[in-house]
Amino acid sequence: MSNRPARLFVLLAALGALGVPQRGVAQGASASFTVRAVVVTIGMTIVTVRDLNFGTVPKGVATTVQPTAATAGEWQITGNPNAFVTIAFTLPTQLTNIQALPGSTMPITFLANSARWRRANNNPAGGNAFNPAVGATGRFGPNANPTLYIWIGGRVNPAVTAKPGIYRGTIILSLTYL
Amino acid sequence: MTRALWLAAALGLGAASLEAQGVMVAPHAIYIDHRARSGSVLLYNPGTEAVEVTISTLFGYPVTDSSGAIVLRTVDAPDSTLPSALAWIQAFPRRLTVAPLERQTVRLLARPPVGLPDGEYWVRLMIAVKAGTIPITGVSDTTAIQVGLTLEVRTIIGIAYRKGPVTTRVMLSQLRAQLVGDTLITWSRLERQGNAAFVGTIRGTVVDSTGATRASFASPLGVYFTMEPRIASIVGKLPRGRYWLRYEVVAEREDLDPAVVLPAPTVRDSVQLIVP
Repeated sequence: MSNRPARLFVLLAALGALGVPQRGVAQGASASFTVRAVVVTIGMTIVTVRDLNFGTVPKGVATTVQPTAATAGEWQITGNPNAFVTIAFTLPTQLTNIQALPGSTMPITFLANSARWRRANNNPAGGNAFNPAVGATGRFGPNANPTLYIWIGGRVNPAVTAKPGIYRGTIILSLTYL
Repeated sequence: MTRALWLAAALGLGAASLEAQGVMVAPHAIYIDHRARSGSVLLYNPGTEAVEVTISTLFGYPVTDSSGAIVLRTVDAPDSTLPSALAWIQAFPRRLTVAPLERQTVRLLARPPVGLPDGEYWVRLMIAVKAGTIPITGVSDTTAIQVGLTLEVRTIIGIAYRKGPVTTRVMLSQLRAQLVGDTLITWSRLERQGNAAFVGTIRGTVVDSTGATRASFASPLGVYFTMEPRIASIVGKLPRGRYWLRYEVVAEREDLDPAVVLPAPTVRDSVQLIVP
């Protein structure tokens, strides 16, 4: 606890440097200036680093993106060192062609090892594999790097009769501080 | 200090170097006193695009599953046997847009029922974030199929509402430990007493036969009822010999204001480890 004031100060300085507004108030001839700062403890920041992208896929052939691939979806989460969080997904079963008439869809599946998480290391190789349909309990990194990375892949299998266009869907990641 | 510098770097440099979207939620645990009956959460968008935020509440608390993993048990309609504040804590606004490099405050307002008994009541706040727009690009080859998935995030944090005297303590039993390679795995049974959740930290220290510390770990956790957490910590490869694991559960948290961490007696146990 001894470094707490310094920690808060640095965090406030960081927020200030990032453009968090501060309020100046002038009153009458003798102007005064008050600076408001929001004192926060360590929060949690979830950043979507990259969407899951299958790119252009051939009809009638299954295309799989591994969670270790450069096109896998990725999140970076910063939080309390060593803290546990539950990782849960809401996954689509169909993707929708946003350029075709309504009803043009494509199935998408997620394998038992389609997701990974890792503490303090932005490299999915060596991460903890898990089934995104089941979820997992992850953990932030230690004091020096209190981050958690999550990756997700999947598989699409467009039918031979699938209409061309852009197919879109949404994956929801839920993280719960425990 | 190191952690704060890292966080500052993550917020500032990370947001700039990555074309990433997200939001900072702070604090990650909220305590509301019955006398104030209100609280707030700060949302900050470090990215370059506006984000749409939806706020909702749910009831749940951490438990452990059969493997010792800590999971959130949710209850859709908590009955009177559970200390739920789901019905009477509300968040405003429930929908908002946070512009790039801007902050927004979500207010929490409690309207507890008359005659609410003393104690601690829980609810969880869900902050759902998605980008304001989904970029769509045309397909140059009109016969091609392009597939992409947008990722959304939901941050779920705890809210505790305290009325009157609140106390907590934890009972420790069934401590076990095992070394697997360079990893120390521990299990224990933690049973909370009192009328509030125990919020604290598990600390473990591995000492050798001379009493010298060979490894240590710390793990923050909250015990809401009873749990049997399995905690794996990398302690490095230990030479052959006998060691002791000193295990304690303390009512201290680095990440929380000490004023909201309820005092409780430290509980300790130890178990022998043998590296053959």
